[in-house]
Amino acid sequence: MELISGIAATTGALSAQRTRLDIIAQNIANAHTTRGPDGKAYQRRTVSFEAELLGASSGTVGLSTVRVAQIQIDKTPGQRINDPGHPDADEEGMVTMPNVNLSMEMVDLITASRAYEANLSVAKNARQMALKTLQIGR
Amino acid sequence: MIESISNSANFHLSQKLLDGAITRQQAIATNIANVETPGFRRLDVSADFGRTLRAEFTKAGKADLAMVRSMQPRVSEDSSVRSIRADGNSVELESELLAMSRNQVDFEFLTEMVGRHIKGLKMAITGRVL
Repeated sequence: MELISGIAATTGALSAQRTRLDIIAQNIANAHTTRGPDGKAYQRRTVSFEAELLGASSGTVGLSTVRVAQIQIDKTPGQRINDPGHPDADEEGMVTMPNVNLSMEMVDLITASRAYEANLSVAKNARQMALKTLQIGR
Repeated sequence: MIESISNSANFHLSQKLLDGAITRQQAIATNIANVETPGFRRLDVSADFGRTLRAEFTKAGKADLAMVRSMQPRVSEDSSVRSIRADGNSVELESELLAMSRNQVDFEFLTEMVGRHIKGLKMAITGRVL
């Protein structure tokens, strides 16, 4: 039995959403990176989640938390633009840009931070309940 | 008498409902954590807990307090909601947050109930209003 109820699930969710925010930040930061360590343009990363059952030690059976299942590379080809003056341009003067779509990343960013906030308010609520429990009989 | 206070039906009902509120908080925490997990079905306190409690306390005659004391709330998949999302997830963030604040008010009310029972007992022992 945990004193603050449901905190194990919330902790997992907070760290999963945090990972997602980190990945989105990485995508936005590399929105114009035309040469990565492999010499090619940056490919955007996506995060997927999966539910993870909590053990019996957490008190109640059947509860689950969330964790990052994997961080995939989005294989969609990036846009090719004509810019002969660019250092990464090929013989025909074409440059492959990263496949990062800024507006998509911004929407993802807002969704992730809302989910993070929702989990934070669960944690706050659980803490208040634990404090109320300690007040019984005072 | 101590027995009549600690054996009152209200005290036991409040205790069990407190257990239920804690379990519901855990279920809601799980739901909100998995708001973006594909295929996740929302959890809640299984319906038979409330049903059994209600039946026990509304029946004619005295409630079986030993039976009530041994009851434990369980979480189970809430089959009453259908998923309207493409990923098969049946969690709606807004209704979970509302359920959570409602559950918190329930919880505070119940802690107050249990607390007052204990305060009443203290008053009976010491003869002073605390």
